[in-house]
Amino acid sequence: MPQVTTPQLQSILDISTFVFAVAILIFVGVEAALLYAIFRFRERGDDRPAARFVSNQRLEIAWTIAPLAVLVVVFALMLGAMQRISAAPADALVVRVIGHQWWWEFRYGDVVTANELHLPVGKPALLEITSADVIHSFWVPSLAGKRDGVPTQIQRLAITPMQEGTFGGACAEFCGQEHAWMLITVVVESADQFQTWLDGQRGPATTSTSDPGAQVFLSSTCINCHTLRGTSASGTAGPDLTHFASRATLGAGVAPNDDAHRAMWIRDAGALKPGALMPPFAFSETQLADLVRYLGSLK
Amino acid sequence: MTATTTPVPSIVVGEERLSLLSWFAGVDHKIVGALYLVGGLTFFVLGGLEALLIRLQLAQPGARLLTPEQYDQLFTMHGTTMIFLAAVPLLFGFGNYLVPLMLGAPEVAFPRLNALSVWLYLFAGILLNFSFLSAQAPDVGWFAYAPLTERPFSSGPGVDYWAAGMILLGASSIAGALNLATTFLRLRCRGMSLTSAPMFTWMVFVQMVLILGALPALSGAALLLLMDRQLGAHFFDGQYAGAALIWQHLFWFFGHPEVYIVILPVFGMISEIIPVFSRKPLFGFGFLVASGIAIAFLSFLVWAHHMFAAGLSGAELTFFSAASMAIAVPTGVKIFNWLATLWGGTLRLRTPLLFALGFIGMFVIGGLTGVSVAVVPFDWQATDSYYVVGHMHYVLFGGTILGVFAGLYYWFPKVTGRLLGEGLGRVHFWTTLVGMNLAFLPMHWIGLEGMPRRVWTYPNVADWGLWNLVETIGASLIVIGTLVLGVNIARSLRRGAVAGPDPWDAWTLEWSVPSPPPPGNFAAAPAVRSRRPLWDLKHPDRADPPRATGDEGWLARLRPSTLAMFLFIGSEAIFFGSVIVAYIAARPVIEAKAILDVPRTFLFSLFLFSSSATMVLADRAVARRRLWLLATLALGAIFLAGQGSEWLRLLQADRLTPSASLFGSGFFTLTGLHGMHVLVGLVAIGAVTLLTRRPDFARRGRGGLEAVSVYWHFVDAVWVVIFSLVYLWTLFA
Repeated sequence: MPQVTTPQLQSILDISTFVFAVAILIFVGVEAALLYAIFRFRERGDDRPAARFVSNQRLEIAWTIAPLAVLVVVFALMLGAMQRISAAPADALVVRVIGHQWWWEFRYGDVVTANELHLPVGKPALLEITSADVIHSFWVPSLAGKRDGVPTQIQRLAITPMQEGTFGGACAEFCGQEHAWMLITVVVESADQFQTWLDGQRGPATTSTSDPGAQVFLSSTCINCHTLRGTSASGTAGPDLTHFASRATLGAGVAPNDDAHRAMWIRDAGALKPGALMPPFAFSETQLADLVRYLGSLK
Repeated sequence: MTATTTPVPSIVVGEERLSLLSWFAGVDHKIVGALYLVGGLTFFVLGGLEALLIRLQLAQPGARLLTPEQYDQLFTMHGTTMIFLAAVPLLFGFGNYLVPLMLGAPEVAFPRLNALSVWLYLFAGILLNFSFLSAQAPDVGWFAYAPLTERPFSSGPGVDYWAAGMILLGASSIAGALNLATTFLRLRCRGMSLTSAPMFTWMVFVQMVLILGALPALSGAALLLLMDRQLGAHFFDGQYAGAALIWQHLFWFFGHPEVYIVILPVFGMISEIIPVFSRKPLFGFGFLVASGIAIAFLSFLVWAHHMFAAGLSGAELTFFSAASMAIAVPTGVKIFNWLATLWGGTLRLRTPLLFALGFIGMFVIGGLTGVSVAVVPFDWQATDSYYVVGHMHYVLFGGTILGVFAGLYYWFPKVTGRLLGEGLGRVHFWTTLVGMNLAFLPMHWIGLEGMPRRVWTYPNVADWGLWNLVETIGASLIVIGTLVLGVNIARSLRRGAVAGPDPWDAWTLEWSVPSPPPPGNFAAAPAVRSRRPLWDLKHPDRADPPRATGDEGWLARLRPSTLAMFLFIGSEAIFFGSVIVAYIAARPVIEAKAILDVPRTFLFSLFLFSSSATMVLADRAVARRRLWLLATLALGAIFLAGQGSEWLRLLQADRLTPSASLFGSGFFTLTGLHGMHVLVGLVAIGAVTLLTRRPDFARRGRGGLEAVSVYWHFVDAVWVVIFSLVYLWTLFA
């Protein structure tokens, strides 16, 4: 089990600990009996006759009933755990989580961002998980169990992060070629830091149309798939880039978000992330440098 | 042992030489069984090579040995191959070869149907793998979740190959299951009651019932998928909420019983091998049979435990969790009973027993981790992570494959007349056992640490690289072990020790005949009084208590062909049921109301319903049989013409097509499937009508007539359901 940082995950851990304690007892018992039988009853060439008993109803009823009783206890404990995990908090921060081939979109009301989920510590969050195309599954092992993002449906997942830090996760349902590079970063921060971040994300892109990089972006097909709030770029097929440079990675976790990798990504995203739906772009060196620098300025 | 001077008979069937033609044209259950075994082992090797490539790619983080496209095809075909082309056929092979021999029967109930099912299987296996050559193999996982399988997301032909392969394999399995189930119920030799039939044959029977109940749901789902992809239907493309989950429900309604389909006969093998090698009778025969039946029953109630994270309601979660936990109880009973069989025995630790003991030791791990994923909150962490890959391989490799190896070492001398080498067998066992634990144990913890399954590569975090490397080393050991098995088989076939009829001093009937057994199996009808007929023969002074042969009443009075037809319509009901579920889920009534002409169809339905009456008369009457058959043909044809004209009316006026709307998809699929069944029924009735002209009809054709008649009534009954659902329902909406 990974680090436990939410009460929801603690409930999972508690019931799991019990289940595994019982399972290990049974495992040790059965394997010990098996090994004992092998050593005790193996043929030794002393012509010891084998026993001939063929049944013992009481014994058999006993080893039918006993596991059943254990399972009833497990089941009862499980129901309690499920209740605690699924209880939806009243004043939760609601975040819409939308899986795409192959990246994550996070919506805080009108604030749209991608691949990096920010949550305030100590405050319950309610994730509304869905998908824009095929089935995905949202999983951050240190925060909570997974929920599938199913198109046309919404699943709710309650998380109360209790520890600041950065936690990794990934898409867990096979969703096509780049299922592997559909990572999630969750940043849990203090309420103040979170508010600052959210306010920052809410604003339009820091842009002056005279910036040569911005002109490259706005005059090419970038705008068909990406949004830069405050400009004419309003595509929705790819991640919102309004505050792209505030994110630590690009390509849903495939590479660090620095100038070198941004350039590689724009030249041929498929070389970094085979199967990525973004086509290669043949910009001139100057155009590329301008664009990379401009994207790096979108804090 | 010196080489024998007498001419060595051909392997598989005890004749001097089996011609090449008889491998292709033969219907002897031993030839069919051997074809299944050879096919199953070949595909096992192929699936193993796919697994090796997968493991090499994953040996280190960020590797680029394979592209994601190649990786996806390999993991999809690894799963598909191992389940459908290796595990199931290997077990069908053992079942076909051994069940008649163990029951004291000369043949299976329907030898030609049996040959059809093995050739359908081999053809489907070749078809599925041909997709590699045709540019794209299936790459959507063996579970093929919608909507990833729909055209917008999978435009290549891979998914079509997969769906077509599933339908063919479904037909093959159903045909095989009808055959072996009927064989078990009707062809046991005199003196062998249901309570003294060997445990392996019992478990094969339960397996066949599971196949009949589960496979049709997959065939139905695959057919709907093909409708979507080829005719533009909309079953799974997300036009209505819940479409994606309907696929999952249908798939796992098949998919979970499938797990028991590939483990129950292995339970049976273990239950044969352990007593013989501990020199003790099987402990708790009754509990073992009952637990097998309980597992089969429960396995139809647990499918949604594969969907705990997919968005089920609280009630669904609770129910499927409870049922999934409950299935551990009968499974535990089996383990305890095997331990009790070993207890106090004299264990001869030869390779069959080694593998059987390995099976118990490993299967327990898979069983316990299975209980853990039935616990919903834990499953929310574990599902779709490598934990499940580990769990499932302890069940399918540690369970099914180790069990199959046990059976292979045990029955190889019966099939080929020669024993497998004991030394190489031990090397095979230990390499495989160590290999599988290295390969599959670390998966549990890296899964819980967050490694999802079905990823073509992974980031370099924590110690994932290390454990993945260990897994790859383990997988390589399994490959080496399998190579040792191959050497062992090749050596034994040429110069293995000659086995004789009964090399293990065993107790069931297959060991009473030469190895390999001659055509027809038994020279004289075997005498059976107890569960261990050969024990009684060898130790008349200490014979087992005789078993009453009990009256099996109605079962014994049914013709085998009629019994098989009842089993078949059972599976057909599931097939129609799966399509009907998809139809209802789409809430079609409003549109149906606007388009369908209910009174007209009702009129034509009357023709179909009255044809059931003429069929009864044809079945009963001797004098005017042909007349009534022709009347049935005519009435059925009129119904079909009526349906055809309705289709034409809708299509020509372009009011409705399969791709026009969800209702169109459902309407044409349901009525079309039923129409095809009517057509098949008409052809069968036509064939029977021709048979009535033959002088020996009374002796040879009656069974056929009765079976066709049962089928025809079923086709009518299905129409009552479909007519109510598609047409009548609109009157009340």
